[in-house]
Amino acid sequence: MAVEPILVVDDIVKQFETQDGPLTAVDHVSFAVTPGEFVSLIGPSGCGKSTLFNIVGGLLDGYQGRVTVAGETVRGPHHSIGMIFQEESTFPWRTVIDNVAFPLEIAGLPKAERMEKARHFVGLVGLDGFERRYPAELSGGMRQRVSMARTLASQPKILLMDEPFAALDEQTRLLLGDKVLQIQQELKQTTLLITHNLTEAVQLSDRILVMTYRPGKIKRVVDIELPRPRTSEIVGSDAFGHFVAQIWNDLREEASRGLRDDESRKLHATGSNE
Amino acid sequence: MATTGNLTAAPLAARPVLGAVTLLRIAILIAIVAIWEAVAASGLLFRDVVPSLLVIGRQLLLILIHPDFPLHIDLGLGSSLVFDLKIPEFYRHLWVTVSEVATAMVIGGIAGLAVGLALGANPFLSDAFERFLYWLGPTPKIIFFPIMIMWFGVGPGSKVAMGTLSCFFPVALSVAAGMRQIEKVLIRVGKSFRANTWQMITKIYLPAMRQPIVNGARLGMGVAVIGTLLAETKLSNRGVGFLIINAYSTFDMPRMYALLIVLFVVAIGANALVARASRG
Amino acid sequence: MTRSASKFPKAAAVLFGIGCFTALIYAIEILIRIGLINRFIVPFPSEIIASFPRIVIEEGVPSRFLLTAIEALTASVMLSIVGISLGVLLHRVRLVRLATETWIAAFASAPLVLMYPLFLVIFGRSAWTIIMIGFVAALPPVILKTLEGLAGTRAVLINVGRSFKLTPAQLYWKILFPAALPNIFVGVRLGMIFALINIVGVEFLINFGGLGQLVNELAERYDLPGTYAAICFVILVSIVFFVVTERIEQWLRPGT
Repeated sequence: MAVEPILVVDDIVKQFETQDGPLTAVDHVSFAVTPGEFVSLIGPSGCGKSTLFNIVGGLLDGYQGRVTVAGETVRGPHHSIGMIFQEESTFPWRTVIDNVAFPLEIAGLPKAERMEKARHFVGLVGLDGFERRYPAELSGGMRQRVSMARTLASQPKILLMDEPFAALDEQTRLLLGDKVLQIQQELKQTTLLITHNLTEAVQLSDRILVMTYRPGKIKRVVDIELPRPRTSEIVGSDAFGHFVAQIWNDLREEASRGLRDDESRKLHATGSNE
Repeated sequence: MATTGNLTAAPLAARPVLGAVTLLRIAILIAIVAIWEAVAASGLLFRDVVPSLLVIGRQLLLILIHPDFPLHIDLGLGSSLVFDLKIPEFYRHLWVTVSEVATAMVIGGIAGLAVGLALGANPFLSDAFERFLYWLGPTPKIIFFPIMIMWFGVGPGSKVAMGTLSCFFPVALSVAAGMRQIEKVLIRVGKSFRANTWQMITKIYLPAMRQPIVNGARLGMGVAVIGTLLAETKLSNRGVGFLIINAYSTFDMPRMYALLIVLFVVAIGANALVARASRG
Repeated sequence: MTRSASKFPKAAAVLFGIGCFTALIYAIEILIRIGLINRFIVPFPSEIIASFPRIVIEEGVPSRFLLTAIEALTASVMLSIVGISLGVLLHRVRLVRLATETWIAAFASAPLVLMYPLFLVIFGRSAWTIIMIGFVAALPPVILKTLEGLAGTRAVLINVGRSFKLTPAQLYWKILFPAALPNIFVGVRLGMIFALINIVGVEFLINFGGLGQLVNELAERYDLPGTYAAICFVILVSIVFFVVTERIEQWLRPGT
């Protein structure tokens, strides 16, 4: 590619100390993301993708290799990277608008300005009218949208998402996927999505990196040549099915390795406390 | 969780700090002792309010070890098996307090358990009566003491009554709440096997409620001790509470400190024992 | 309290409860009148109720209530400031927390109020003895609940803060503290209730102060109906305090 990548993940190796000795979670993973690209990292549970999420986001250290954002090495949370977490992460004591305005508040923007900006992002995720509500009054999907708006409000160069829709039902996921496509279209947001959901990955991405089961490596890179702009209607098309099938083969192999490994560990566990 | 690594929320890294913890504890204790002795020696506070630890320690030994109370044990098997011992008087009082508290816990505990089971099992009774328990719980029971004296006399009866009254409420409320938290399906299983009430209680309700019952018992024990001891300080001539107020009225501060130390050690120790036993 | 699962409407049960209580009072009245209960041990409920106005006016219940309230308020303020500060300190300095948390938990289960004779020596028969006992006996739960609230903040919320590069001070004020506030308030409420219980109790024991002292004094005068009436007042105050703080707690935690 002729375009200079904005995110470079260079030969990451990460090991953890466990009671059974050192465990390699990520094994020499390298990839790059160009500006405006939507890349998904997909793999079975235990493939190290959440570890990679935390490494790229600067929340985890003690690894070999390097992560650079626009040329700068990542050493702790980087101001150009915005993170959206899998778990429920809205601040329950703040209203929707105050949640979304949070990064702007930290940056020291005056109140009028940050409220106006926050309102824009609340509208972007489709939550107009809910500004004064508290997260407890919203559904799970709406709360995730609030978290999304909050991260987007900090206008990061790179959006890093860790299975943000994992706790939602399938229909809500598809519709939120539509929202994400819309937003990405409008903001031309560079995005790295960590997921185990195949449909979601193919629906949203320009490129998919398939990971192996632990120790995690990139098994295959698949360019998703589906037209943009996209909507969730694409899920029914033949081309969509073709990509899903192609990736499912790889995933299935890794997933069953994972299952077997998991079962044998449970069988030999001497009183596990996980 | 082996896969997420050191995403600790704590500002410090998760280094093993056990050696440092013990050192800090020792340092804190030394600091407390040093400050205490300094205040005692300087006479800053009214004389004797802060006696030297050595004086307190001496009192402690006197209380626990000095034999000043004659104890006559006659096993009734002839004059060769008669013992005339001398034990520290403290233990006589300790025995009085312990037996009062134990009796209070048994009566209050059983009553609390029965009422709790009834309220927990029957939503109608719960709606009708549980609020009274809920509201009466956080009231100072010691103010009922004059009534207890009238009803049960000035002897151990009124103290036991105080302890029982204190102990009843936390046990009843914990048991009632515990009952409602039992998985409904377990109750249906019992009923499907046509267990009678006694069997339901012993084989389903009580085992399923082990944690709430234990918590209620610990709380009940704590307040039973307080209720009984406070009653002893008000009107008694036996028991640890009596000893404490006696030390106050004779202005024997070292003795009071020593008694309080023993009391706290015993109370905290008993609580820890129950906690350990309930976990096993 | 949990939602009712009974076959009968809740209002009916509540009425039944109140009805039983009233019936009990009547039964006691009758049993005393016919001599089955000794009237020198249990006074007539009618006499108790009749003594209410007398007690309120002659014994100065309102001013006594005020005294007890001021003692309780002072202790509560001291409790909150010291307890929350120590809880925050313990959370910030992990080493101190590891060293002292079990000690504080041990004191939470100890009969601290039994130190009142000691405080009597130090502060004399005064309001300060009462306030200090209320403060000391109720301190451990406030510290522990504050600590629990701060330490129990969900990791993801802290990670959100870290991902936005918050300074440690910002993390505390904008995330940890707000997240811990419900727990902190539970602790403060618990502390306030313990404090009130111990304050009234010690007023009774040392025969000084407000409502607690009233019970003691009337008992020593053998004013039986008065004693029972004074006990009723204390119970009433305690209930009101308990319910009011419960309402405040629920208002502070929307959705509880």
